[in-house]
Amino acid sequence: MTTTAALSAVLVIGFITYVSRAGLILVLSQRELPDAVTAVLRNVGPAVLSALVVTILAGGGDLGDVDLTNVAGVVVAGVVAWKTRSLVLTLLAGMTVIWTLTALL
Amino acid sequence: MTDLSEGSSLTDIIKRACLDAFPVYVPAIPFAIVVGIAINDSAMPRWVGILSTPVIWAGSAQFATISLAGSASWLTLVLTGAIINSRHIMYSAAISPRFADQPRWFRWFGPYLLVDQVFAMIDQAPELSGRVLRRYYLSIGAFFFVAWHLFVAVGLFAGTAVPDSWQLGAAPAIMFAGLAIFGATRKPAVVAVVVAAGVSALTLQLPNRLGLLVGAFAGVAAGWFAEQRYQQKVEPADDTSEPTT
Repeated sequence: MTTTAALSAVLVIGFITYVSRAGLILVLSQRELPDAVTAVLRNVGPAVLSALVVTILAGGGDLGDVDLTNVAGVVVAGVVAWKTRSLVLTLLAGMTVIWTLTALL
Repeated sequence: MTDLSEGSSLTDIIKRACLDAFPVYVPAIPFAIVVGIAINDSAMPRWVGILSTPVIWAGSAQFATISLAGSASWLTLVLTGAIINSRHIMYSAAISPRFADQPRWFRWFGPYLLVDQVFAMIDQAPELSGRVLRRYYLSIGAFFFVAWHLFVAVGLFAGTAVPDSWQLGAAPAIMFAGLAIFGATRKPAVVAVVVAAGVSALTLQLPNRLGLLVGAFAGVAAGWFAEQRYQQKVEPADDTSEPTT
């Protein structure tokens, strides 16, 4: 890959990334949003993060590529997160399950 | 929920931000190292790969770009990066009301720092506003920026230091699962989380990780429908008190 092609691709992706992050903040932040829109936006965070978990677990593959040991770790971590509201405990619980299952299976 | 208030000093805010950001950052360490290794292996000139870290400043899109370089066309590279990062449009919309009382320079600069973790942390600190929100946001943004670059550098210069047996590749999924659960404090959000995960799983075969977006949209839509039903159940008295015409 030539330097020009690589550099231009990186700069264009960087620009698109910035626009996707800044666009609606710059457009919407100075306006009063209707309640209906606010109600929709309220669940964006949990929904995107949840979809991100599945995508990471699949590692770019499909459902058959998901490691069930990792799924068990995430499920236990989810329960610990729900009960404790502690990210440190969540991470420790999830990783402990993965390490334990890997050692046993 | 942070323990910060309007009277908090800058030192208190930075300290709180670093303490909050540290456990959120730890799971990203192996990924940062992998990105550093991928820069070494990329068909891109090494200095361009290194430059992509601050320019793209989004791990997944950067990783895809430097990995695909040489084997995909220029247009495919750009489209892949753009599609992977398109979830930031949703972040931008969701977080925009928090920028309403912020100065212009912050409305322009703040979004540059809006990576997944920063969004998740700000989304879960709805009590913050004004000067305190701005300082907290910039502190956690700076923390992630510095820490990410540090561990990408570790990957560049000492890439094989982390053994595969540690299985740290699953750590980001665990962290994001925890953050999604923390955000699901109401029934409609729980519905959004479950539907987003289910639909993402069913659409994993879509190209360029489009399943992520499809799942996210489905989750948001399901959350909205659940919100309507939830409000009808919670506020029946308000509905009947409305004058009929």
